[in-house]
Amino acid sequence: MSQADTLGRYRSHVADLAGALDANDEAAFRAAFERLRGQLNIELNPELKRITADALSALRRFREQARLEVLADQEVPDARRRLAHVVKLTEEAAHRTLDLVEQSSPLIDRMALEAAQLLEEWGLHGSRQLAVNSMWPERANESLERAVRDSERVRRFLSQMLLAQGYQDLSGQIIQAVIRLVMELETVLGQLVSLAQGEDTRRMPVLKLDSTQPMPVQDGSQGAGPHVPGVGTSQIVSDQDDIDALIASVGRP
Amino acid sequence: MSTNMKFLVVDDFSTMRRIVKGLLNELGYNDITEADDGNTALPLLKGGNFDFLITDWNMPGMPGLDLLKAVRGDAKLAKLPVLMLTAEAKREQIIEAAQAGVSGYVIKPFTAATLKEKIDKILASKAAA
Repeated sequence: MSQADTLGRYRSHVADLAGALDANDEAAFRAAFERLRGQLNIELNPELKRITADALSALRRFREQARLEVLADQEVPDARRRLAHVVKLTEEAAHRTLDLVEQSSPLIDRMALEAAQLLEEWGLHGSRQLAVNSMWPERANESLERAVRDSERVRRFLSQMLLAQGYQDLSGQIIQAVIRLVMELETVLGQLVSLAQGEDTRRMPVLKLDSTQPMPVQDGSQGAGPHVPGVGTSQIVSDQDDIDALIASVGRP
Repeated sequence: MSTNMKFLVVDDFSTMRRIVKGLLNELGYNDITEADDGNTALPLLKGGNFDFLITDWNMPGMPGLDLLKAVRGDAKLAKLPVLMLTAEAKREQIIEAAQAGVSGYVIKPFTAATLKEKIDKILASKAAA
């Protein structure tokens, strides 16, 4: 049916409606209106039936696909719990490392201090001891000097180990962003399953939250987390000089 | 530079708070208080006579940028040095922090030397002001 045919039919109905209005004839208006509605039904019903049939077919396929339910009820929530557990494990490991660094630091400090004190005493009384034993005091002197140097190196290594534990913060932020996504997926899947089962999704809880896991709300001031190569299109500034220049260019301290 | 300064370190990750605290200890700063987000930090700042604030950006509750704005909007805290220590590296975020009045901005992961240099620079400019 051409568009001109369709419009011609509606023009006729509209003319009947306008004529009834002009004549102030309610019965004629109602009759013209019913004819128009009938015309609309003739044209829209097949499309509505097709859409309804497609929707019912899709829902039937959903019901038949048990995998969706398993995903929604078990596997996606498990994935979220696994990720949260990874954050917990890395946090515990990082804290254990920090404990050991903090316990080691005073030991190495004491070792360095005592070696330095002995060297100082050796400097004061070295010649007298050298007279008693010509070999041993010289070896002891070298060993003490090495202990002072090595203690300083170990101190620097411990400081670097301390800083390296920052991976837990960065990886934790990235994993938490994935957890938020998985939670959204969990909700959508749950609602799809409920829809397929004929439940009223308006009564569903928005999210099944594990109250022990923080879920930051993502708005403009919240931040986006660490930059991940290949993710996002924003311009990243990571060089400290560039950052300082950018801060200075804005004109505040 | 006085090492008797009072620092507040704000980060939702306890590991990062310990790391920053450890580095500050190495620099000779030993009076350090911790908070896990802006909501916890702000009352501490208002009642604590802190000399320096080091804050993360991305935290649940009140994020670091909102904490910075609250500090700058409080007459008693407005001049407090605020160093943002964060993984947020987008150009527009750094500009936003600068516009909000951040004193310094360091991107994670960072080095002990960068942290020291930044703290020293902020304190020097504060002393000169």
